Amino acid sequence: MRVEPAPAPFWRHDLTHCLHTTAGALLAARGLDPLETLGAGWGFRFVPGEVRREEYYFPGHDEDLFAGLAPYHPVSSRWHRPGDAEQGWQQVRDALVNGVSVAVAADNFHLPFRPAYRDVHTNHLMAIEGFDDETGEVFVNDPVPPSFRGTIPLTALMAARDSGNPIAHDRDLFFTANPIGNRWLEVTIGADVPEVDEAFVARVVGSNAAGWLDGTTGPVLTGLAGLRHFLDAAVEGFAEHPESVDEVFVVGGPMLAVAGLHADFLDRAGVRFGDVRLRELGRAVDRVAHHWSALRIAAATAREDRVAAVPGLRQRTAALLGDQEAVLERMSLVAA
Amino acid sequence: MRKVRIDLSGFFTNRGLQPPGTTGDYGFNIWSNTFPAEELPPAGTVADVAGVPFSFPPDAATGDNIRCRGQVIPLPEGDWDWIYLIGAAERRTEDRVELRYRDGSVRPAWLRMSDFWPETPMRFGEPLAFRTRSMRYPRHTHRNHAPALWQQRIGVAQPEDLAAVRLPDNPAMHVFALTLVADEEARCAR
Repeated sequence: MRVEPAPAPFWRHDLTHCLHTTAGALLAARGLDPLETLGAGWGFRFVPGEVRREEYYFPGHDEDLFAGLAPYHPVSSRWHRPGDAEQGWQQVRDALVNGVSVAVAADNFHLPFRPAYRDVHTNHLMAIEGFDDETGEVFVNDPVPPSFRGTIPLTALMAARDSGNPIAHDRDLFFTANPIGNRWLEVTIGADVPEVDEAFVARVVGSNAAGWLDGTTGPVLTGLAGLRHFLDAAVEGFAEHPESVDEVFVVGGPMLAVAGLHADFLDRAGVRFGDVRLRELGRAVDRVAHHWSALRIAAATAREDRVAAVPGLRQRTAALLGDQEAVLERMSLVAA
Repeated sequence: MRKVRIDLSGFFTNRGLQPPGTTGDYGFNIWSNTFPAEELPPAGTVADVAGVPFSFPPDAATGDNIRCRGQVIPLPEGDWDWIYLIGAAERRTEDRVELRYRDGSVRPAWLRMSDFWPETPMRFGEPLAFRTRSMRYPRHTHRNHAPALWQQRIGVAQPEDLAAVRLPDNPAMHVFALTLVADEEARCAR
């Protein structure tokens, strides 16, 4: 039997990584616009102690990743955890036979098109769009550079999904030592996909602003208050706790991605509706994204001397929070 | 138009340009990727990018680029209108630089820097300076995986008596070369 991928645009946003690119591939295959779907929501939700060593970690939405990625769309996802590699492939194959592409977790060490092939282990996510029983190949969609859309041997995919993801070198310090376990994501899309019109954008901006303003500092950290709590705690504990490096970097990844996506969502809406306020707001959100670029690398390069990094981190987080507050004021004005 | 290339070698903190067959303390980004040096202008030569000459960094153990951490770069006397850079970031980013004047005053200006990562477009209108065909990993070179260096410029609104530029404390930004440009003709046209 052979299941071929349906034609769909190859999508990637430059500030995202494998979680959003894979989500974009799956959403585009089902007719949703990735930027409109993934870029509408912008907030902060973090469960202390929950950080996972996965490139596709998304804070605060461990089980239903897609609901976190697309809070204004009828999109959800569910992890499947098969017992072994064979069961893992049969489950994915069944979904593909039913016409549904899926996301699979995979160790790049076993994927011939990834630079980490036979070099380092890491915990990646990508879309599987089809298979060919006769040739023993599967169709992969992975827009993370070096982007790849083509076939690989099923044996390679099964090895990548069944990997223990061990630490082999010191290069990939953030996403190793977490067995892949043949996990795959089933994505469900409901019928009531909203139209992205001016009313939708106004509702999104208002709701996002409310989410930022109605923050909580425990047990779950949400909104601006939660973000401030998270950053303050990370910086104050940075010198003492080595795991702070990983926490800031791993949480910062999706925060960077979501801010960048939301900035471009607003900019596109501003163009479409001729509303310069949305374009100005988008640029202000981009400014916050650019703080996250800086903060992630500041944390990641501080592993050898965390004490020396603290003053710079303190300045960066203060600037980030200051610009975040300024954006909230603009959001409130636009929503009004 | 006057153009003066600035020697940054005393400020380099990072090794991002790697000759073939070498190992050691290389690593442009946090994952230790590097640009293949053999695909770029020879070390220590003058390279022209969009009409601006730059001193391409020498091959030195002390480094070939500045990972920006607030370094203050002294500038020669002159009325400079533009500070041109060759740089690239680990994910695009923007930050303020400080323009420092001989009378002690300080003026902020913006530095915006696009991502070096392959298949990632320029974001801030910078001309492409160089794009290599491959990218180095710690144990291999990946072909057809093409990272980029970009040309940035910082406008100096008050050219007179500029004494130094303080780079941002933003370690996602990397600067490989810096050239000052005085454009008296354009200034007089104001």
